[in-house]
Amino acid sequence: MSAVRPVSTAAGDRFEHRAVISGVGQSAIGRQIDRSGFQLALDAILAAVDDAGLTVDDVDGLAMFPGGGVANLPGYSGANLYEVQDALRLTTRWRQGQVEGMSLPFSAPAAAVATGQARHVVVYRTVKEGSAARRAGGRPAYGSTKPEAEGPLAWLLPVGMLSPVVQIAPYATRYLHDFGVTREQLAWIPVTQRAHAARNPDAAYRSPLTIDDYLAARMISTPMCLFDCDVPVDGATAIVVSTVDAAPDLRAPVRIEAMAGVIDGRPSWDQWEDMSRVGHATAAALWARTALGPGDVDVAQLYDGFTIEAVWWLEAMGFCGVGEAAAFVEGGKRIGLDGDLPLNTWGGQLSGGRLHAGFGHTAEAVRQLRGEAGDRQVAGAEVAAVTNVGGYEAGAALLTRW
Amino acid sequence: MDATIGIPPAVTEETAPFWAAAAEGRLVVEHCPACGTDAFPPRGICRRCRSRALEWVEVTGPGQVYSYTVNHQRWLPDLEVPYAVVLVEFDGHPGVRVPGRLRGCEPDAATVGLPVAVGFEPGPGGQAIPSFVAATAGVAAGAGPAAP
Repeated sequence: MSAVRPVSTAAGDRFEHRAVISGVGQSAIGRQIDRSGFQLALDAILAAVDDAGLTVDDVDGLAMFPGGGVANLPGYSGANLYEVQDALRLTTRWRQGQVEGMSLPFSAPAAAVATGQARHVVVYRTVKEGSAARRAGGRPAYGSTKPEAEGPLAWLLPVGMLSPVVQIAPYATRYLHDFGVTREQLAWIPVTQRAHAARNPDAAYRSPLTIDDYLAARMISTPMCLFDCDVPVDGATAIVVSTVDAAPDLRAPVRIEAMAGVIDGRPSWDQWEDMSRVGHATAAALWARTALGPGDVDVAQLYDGFTIEAVWWLEAMGFCGVGEAAAFVEGGKRIGLDGDLPLNTWGGQLSGGRLHAGFGHTAEAVRQLRGEAGDRQVAGAEVAAVTNVGGYEAGAALLTRW
Repeated sequence: MDATIGIPPAVTEETAPFWAAAAEGRLVVEHCPACGTDAFPPRGICRRCRSRALEWVEVTGPGQVYSYTVNHQRWLPDLEVPYAVVLVEFDGHPGVRVPGRLRGCEPDAATVGLPVAVGFEPGPGGQAIPSFVAATAGVAAGAGPAAP
């Protein structure tokens, strides 16, 4: 017996097994919800705590995305952490507000409960980007809340890369170029996800979308058209992460089988070395932490701020080979609700709404694993994949039924 | 095409020499005399050997377009669209990739691998911004690689 405890391996002890996702909750979600971001956050938090089978007094950890400071985008941030703590009259033993390092909404909270720093952590994300876009008469420039472009944006905004769409479009350009793929082939991702959204009463857009609609849509930043971009919405999502010791007290916990968040490329949108391959290091680290494989995944909630991001994750996670996503999604059958890999069953951010940072994806994964996804339920879902972003921040996890 | 509508860069200790050279129509990147590595954006430390004793070296081009996009959306009032933005890499300067506008051809003529000349044009906040010139356009298009 070795005195040195090995780094986690597929067979070894993993800290994420000492944490569970115990609750998810959301406010009303829509293009424009006439409530403050703070009230939406409270709606989501109270719903999530109730969903977990807990009371507000059980919560002893609080986290949010993003943290303090001025957001780069109007409506990007809402509900200050300390004001939420004050409003709910909490005592917290662990707090965090972050952008950097939040590979998935539940990653740091899971570490906190696994190390005994808290028993029940609520992590929340509020967006009012739908209202902000309406007020601005269109989706506003990223960075327009500040007089100057700082950090990595200093190289992007001044030359006219004024939105994440423009910043990520070169990835799609390069992907189409490298693999000889057409826009029409990848259009099956937004088209299929819209069909899923039709079965989700909380989705932002539910009317049918066809390939012809997609091809007729106005271009935002080539090769990405309107339907390749997620939908700015108003809404809040809260997730409760609890210590596994509390499982007997919880209504319907979900296991965290494995999670990882590796950045092995240059962490900025313009400097990432190989723009046709994103998320691979994170996915490899994830699979190294579990005996499960891509073929075991029953439902996939893959980050889709833009269509191309879902493409990255389909390939990085090994659901198909590199450069093979177009063939994989073509026709929509494989990624449909009855397919081999139902993709973004709530509509994803492309139709469900830009709840951002993996919060909407996590909420849906939990509902699917519990059998609580209503008309869009994937029968017998036992293993769900959740991923977030992919480029300069990245996260991937497998959640499993309790 | 007017590129002055937009958001200017914050100029920092690390980036001031870049923007000063840009105003003179020169593209400069950090160079490490110790190990020979060029790097962009400037960080004040060599990304390879971590030496802090760096110099600035001029990149004279030509470059090649690594990737690009043509923006059609008016993100700010009065923003002139469409325009192409390109990410440009340079022979002899591995690890350097510079974002900029593209001139000298129609925006839709941008391609992966397009050869471009180094150039600048007036950008937001009085700064000169990288504005590469499609090599295929020639002088006929009236867009030489001149500084602003």
